[in-house]
Amino acid sequence: MLGVIAKQLKSHPALIPLFIFIGGGATMSIMYLSRLALRNPDVSWDRKNNPEPWNNMKPNQQYKLFAVNMDYSKLKKEGPDF
Amino acid sequence: MSDTIDEKIKNYRTAPFDARFPNTNQTRNCYQNYLDFHRCNKALSAKDQDTAPCDWYQRVYMSLCPVSWVTKWDDQLEAGSFAGKI
Repeated sequence: MLGVIAKQLKSHPALIPLFIFIGGGATMSIMYLSRLALRNPDVSWDRKNNPEPWNNMKPNQQYKLFAVNMDYSKLKKEGPDF
Repeated sequence: MSDTIDEKIKNYRTAPFDARFPNTNQTRNCYQNYLDFHRCNKALSAKDQDTAPCDWYQRVYMSLCPVSWVTKWDDQLEAGSFAGKI
């Protein structure tokens, strides 16, 4: 399979950027989907041991990739402990 | 330098930013504070402490939640059919 592709690329080298861009796009999609699946605090894989994963976050922990106008270092926990 | 919870309740204006729920959809924020209020009441009264600090959570969920949801959940709690873990 890879041998066939390598032979075709040698005879049509203009196809190489196509592979690069398609491969890059697919990699970015897969990386974002796995970040959502594994790191998103709304997702709970283990309902018995970790039922509310959003409660494991610190009060100043940032999950968003870009936070505009939000100084996360100054936040602290509101609400009393119990 | 952290205000005591009484001062915070007295100076309450609206629900503060919660890093656990940074996006526009605040449904879970509302539900979590509702659960926290009842869990706090249950935990503090089991320890025979004053449940006044729990009012913080009540203020927050009253700010965030639609009134119809609050009344529906209160009715479910009284009837014993509330689905959340308290």
